[in-house]
Formats: sequence, C-alpha cells, structure tokens
Amino acid sequence: MSSQAQQSPALLGVGILGAGPVTQAIHLPSLARLGDILEVRHIMDVDPAVAESVAGRVGARFSTSMDELLADPAVDIVAICSPHQFHAPQVIAACRAGKKAVLCEKPFAMNGEEAAAISAVSAETRVPIIVGAMHTFDPGWLAAEEAWGGLPEQVHTVRSSIVLPPNPRFEDFATEIVGRVPVPGRDSNDPEALKAMLTGGVMGLAIHDLPLVRRFTPDFAAVEVLHAETVSPFGYVISLRAGDVTIELRAAMNGTWEPCWTFEAIGDDASLDIDFTPSYVHAGSATARIRTAGRTVTLGPFGHNGYEGEWRKLAELAGGTGQPPSAETLIHDLEFALAIAEAAAGRVDAGAPHDAAAEQEVNA
Amino acid sequence: MSTQLSVYADAQAEATGAVSAVVASLPLSLAPAPFAPDGAGAPDIVAVAGHAGWTDRASTAIRNGAKGVVVSAPVAEGPAGLASVADAAAAVVVLDLHWAGNVALASTSKNVHGVIAGALKDAVLVDSVAIAAPGADPLRPLTDQLAVLVQCGMDVHNLRMVQRNGNVYTVAGVLAGGAPVALQGILTSALPATASVSILTTAGRADVVLPDPAAAWPAEVRAVTADGATTLPTLYESSHRTSWSRVHSHISSGTAANDLAQFTAVMALLNQLTS
Repeated sequence: MSSQAQQSPALLGVGILGAGPVTQAIHLPSLARLGDILEVRHIMDVDPAVAESVAGRVGARFSTSMDELLADPAVDIVAICSPHQFHAPQVIAACRAGKKAVLCEKPFAMNGEEAAAISAVSAETRVPIIVGAMHTFDPGWLAAEEAWGGLPEQVHTVRSSIVLPPNPRFEDFATEIVGRVPVPGRDSNDPEALKAMLTGGVMGLAIHDLPLVRRFTPDFAAVEVLHAETVSPFGYVISLRAGDVTIELRAAMNGTWEPCWTFEAIGDDASLDIDFTPSYVHAGSATARIRTAGRTVTLGPFGHNGYEGEWRKLAELAGGTGQPPSAETLIHDLEFALAIAEAAAGRVDAGAPHDAAAEQEVNA
Repeated sequence: MSTQLSVYADAQAEATGAVSAVVASLPLSLAPAPFAPDGAGAPDIVAVAGHAGWTDRASTAIRNGAKGVVVSAPVAEGPAGLASVADAAAAVVVLDLHWAGNVALASTSKNVHGVIAGALKDAVLVDSVAIAAPGADPLRPLTDQLAVLVQCGMDVHNLRMVQRNGNVYTVAGVLAGGAPVALQGILTSALPATASVSILTTAGRADVVLPDPAAAWPAEVRAVTADGATTLPTLYESSHRTSWSRVHSHISSGTAANDLAQFTAVMALLNQLTS
C-alpha cells in the first residue's frame, strides 16, 4: 500500500509503529520541522483506516503489519509508538531488522527482564536505541547540564511538579487527531482504579522527569516511596527518599488552560529550576535557572523542544555520529520508574490512611 | 492625627524584629521609649523576641503596664496563659509572623482572601513550600508555614510527618473536602526565604508567594480561572511593619487582636503531628 512520491536519498527514512495521538500530535509535527534531514516513509497501525489516514498526511506508505514496515528498505529509523506492552518485542524486532536507529516511546519495557533483553539485542546488533523521555533531550535541560558544575553533589531535594490541561487542549493545536479513544471514567473509591492512576501517572507522566531526578540521586536503587495519593480528576502526590535525597512528585491534570511544568533540584547553596513547555505543541525549549545566593544564571529558552531534540539525536545516530545513551542508563531509568510506580501503587494495598497507591495509559 | 505610642525593644527583640527600622518608618504613630519596661512609666508597647519563653516574657510586659506587645517570630508555644493575662489587662498581643504577618494575608485584604476562599471551595490539591536558610532547626519553618495555612483560612486535617532530615521535611494532610495537602520545608541559601501556597482547583489555581520580611518585598498573589489569570495588586511592606501598624491600630481603636486565637489553631495543627 503506498501513496508515497519520490523519496530523496539524501534524507533518512522514518517508519512509525502505531499511529495514535502521540504519533499524530507529537512525532509527525516534529518531523515536519526537520524535513531537511528526515522523511516519514512508512506508517503502521492495526487500524487500517487510521494507518491510511495518517500516512496520507505525509505521503508515506501504510500497513497494518510490523513485519511489513520492518521489511521496508526505505525505513532507516523506526519509532515505536504502540501501546506499552508491545514496546519491548518491537524494539527487539527493529534492531534485528538491521535498522540504523530506534526510538521507543516511554516506557521502553514493562519490566527488568524485557529491558535486559533489549540491551542484549542492542549490543549484539549495534543498533542505537533512545527512549522518548523528551525532557532529557530538551535544549534547556542540556544547557543546564553543561553549566551546573558540582550541583548534583550537593542536591538534597528534588521536586517535579506538573499541572496540565487535558491532552486534547494541546493535541488539537498540534494537529487534527483521527481515531482518538475517549478517556474512560474513573471510580475514585475503587482501589484498583487508584492503583491504576498512580501507576499510569508515574509511567506516563512522571517518567518524563524521572531520568532528570536520577541525575541527582546517586542512590537511586535505594528509592523508597513514603507516601502516595491520587489527585482528582487525575494526578498524584508522591513522596520518596533515595539515600540522602528527598524527592517530591506532584501532578494534576485538571481543567485549567494554563500548563505549569517545573523541575527543581535544590542544595545547600545552589539550585536548579526549570520551566518546561507543555507537551505536544512546539513552544520552544525549557528555560533553566541555576541559582546561588544573589546570583541567577538563566539558560534558554531555545527554539525547539525535547521532541524535536529526540529526532535530531536520532538523525545523528542513524548518520553514524553522536553517542547514544548507554544501555545501563536506559535500564536504570526504567528500573527507577518501575520501582516508584510499583511502590506507589502498593501504598493502596498497604491501606495507609488517606494514602492511595490494569495500568492507566497516560501520555504527555 | 495618629496617637503616638512609645516602644521598647530589648536587644534580642530588636534583632529578631528589626524594630528600630520599623518604628522609624512610622514616625507619627510610634516613638522609641527612653526607659526600661520595668521602670516607672512603662512603654506603651513592648517588643518581645519569639524564642522559647516568649509567652512568659510577653505576660511580664503586660503585667508591667504595657498596652500592647509585639512578638517577633514566635516559636511553637501554647498561648493560653498569655491570652488570659492580656484579656485581664485589656492589652493587645500581636504576633509578627514571618510569612503569615504579611499585609497580603491581613484580614483587611479582602481581595486576597476572596481569591483563596474561592479556590479552597473547589480545591483538588494544596501544595505549599517554605524555604529557610540552612543552619536553622529544619522544623523551624513548619510553625510559620502552618501559620500561613491558618491565616489563609484552611481547614486542614490528618496532618502527619512523611519524612524529615537535616535539610527538609514533608508533611501530608487533607482539606475538609478531601483534597490532599502537601507541605514541604527546604533549607537552602540559594533561594529567597519565601513561603508559597498553591491551591489547584478543577479549572485553575490560586498562588500566594509570601516574602522574607527582611525587606519590603511584596507578596505575589495570582489567580487562574476559566476566564483568565489575575495578578492582585501588591504592597511593598514587610510583615514587621504590618504587625506594628496593626498593634497601633488596635490600641488606638480599642479593638482586640485575634492573633493568639490564630496561634492556638497553629498549635492544634502542630499537635496533630505529634499526637
């Protein structure tokens, strides 16, 4: 099935597995900004109508089969944007298909075993993999990382605070969505629903910031969830400790029109705070501030966000330049997120007073 | 014409409450008293430092004839005895609280309290962060932070300490309507010593940022509703000066201050943490 015109040999070809709102509202608009280096050549979705419609927007072939996409020689880079449970097998298949680079939407696996299997295949095939934790590719974050000097050694408190309108408010200003699935209703008294909200909140929302949190928590493996509860209609308050570092995670997806996404890392006499732009829309990079008493260094904003940063990185890697994140980093990021999600949900079973601990898939 | 009242501050009260600078900024209302508080001709108002024992020191000042006392940065201490002494003498006790004493939260700031009350009716989450300089007792900001909640009119229940160490504390609670309340205190010199309160609602938020009283930085009050965002007018007055204006006003008009009742509510919240 094809509707693609002539493809340019100078461009790297992109194939996307899964053509839902994330592909439509995040990746295609990002790729449209990078038409001088990347070209979408193949879209796969299990819903043929969605696959055809989305592929038609960008003049790409479409299919309903992963194998067909992976067998397409025009595809150099594979992006995996399917439901979470398919991520690991599809990453492995893409590596084995000999592609030049793989982007896996977060989370890139559902457990440590899957992550280890991905790591082994990546090492064997030498196909670089990056995970779509977009804040780690945001130029504002990267500029802060270059400038913060010895900050991580003194940080004792980390805060991630996310206030977002419902996703359609941004999706609909990034693209015109087809095939949107309505968000199911939630019973706030059902322990399973509470667990699902906490797990989904960590794996779908907090996960954007957890690799950032981990940069300031050398004892991440010792993470303990001390408190977890849900926020209506969707959100969480989670308090953690990892070694000597206190971590506070807050999120609320309410009906506001004003997004506010901040990350803070605070030490005795230096701190970092970052304001991230909202998901989906291309509203430029984060703005970072590194503060000491009486002195503030501001970095950014820059002209593109972390989603575009991901694709720029993929183009580098597929072109044989740049350094991919180590498999160990990806595995540790995943283990950190999974440990927090599991322990947060466990607070529901623990029956802690006023605490709340099938995952609810949430993306931002 | 303002009635000028005399003021006495010992060295500790002066250091804690910047009393001389405040008195100098209210020259028609206040003047330094040239004599000691326990001598003949007691000063009208005595400044009391808020370290442990402040309720006794304030009671003594009232018994010695002061019409009013201003207590700077009071630590957690039951005020019932002082309230009895003050009531019996018809004396005014004003607490110069670090953040809660800011003019933005004064009972006269109807617009601010209207924004806060409106947000609390529809709250889904209250998130508050207090910043203090390192080296202090890490729990020292907690009393001041709870005083802010009380001054905001929040009805908080089930407060419990989630974690604490030498740099930070985290406290969890719940509003009467069930929305979570998350409090954090952080010791750092990298950030201004502010207290913030963010009330997230179903369709917006209200944010109050209260400054360090070391200077007349204004508080920031901002509301977001479906109709847009509103920043309320700011006033450049430290909580120290606001407190001294209040004590003068109460003494001059013969009205009672409710500071000790409010502090009793703060103590009740602290007791939730220790019970």
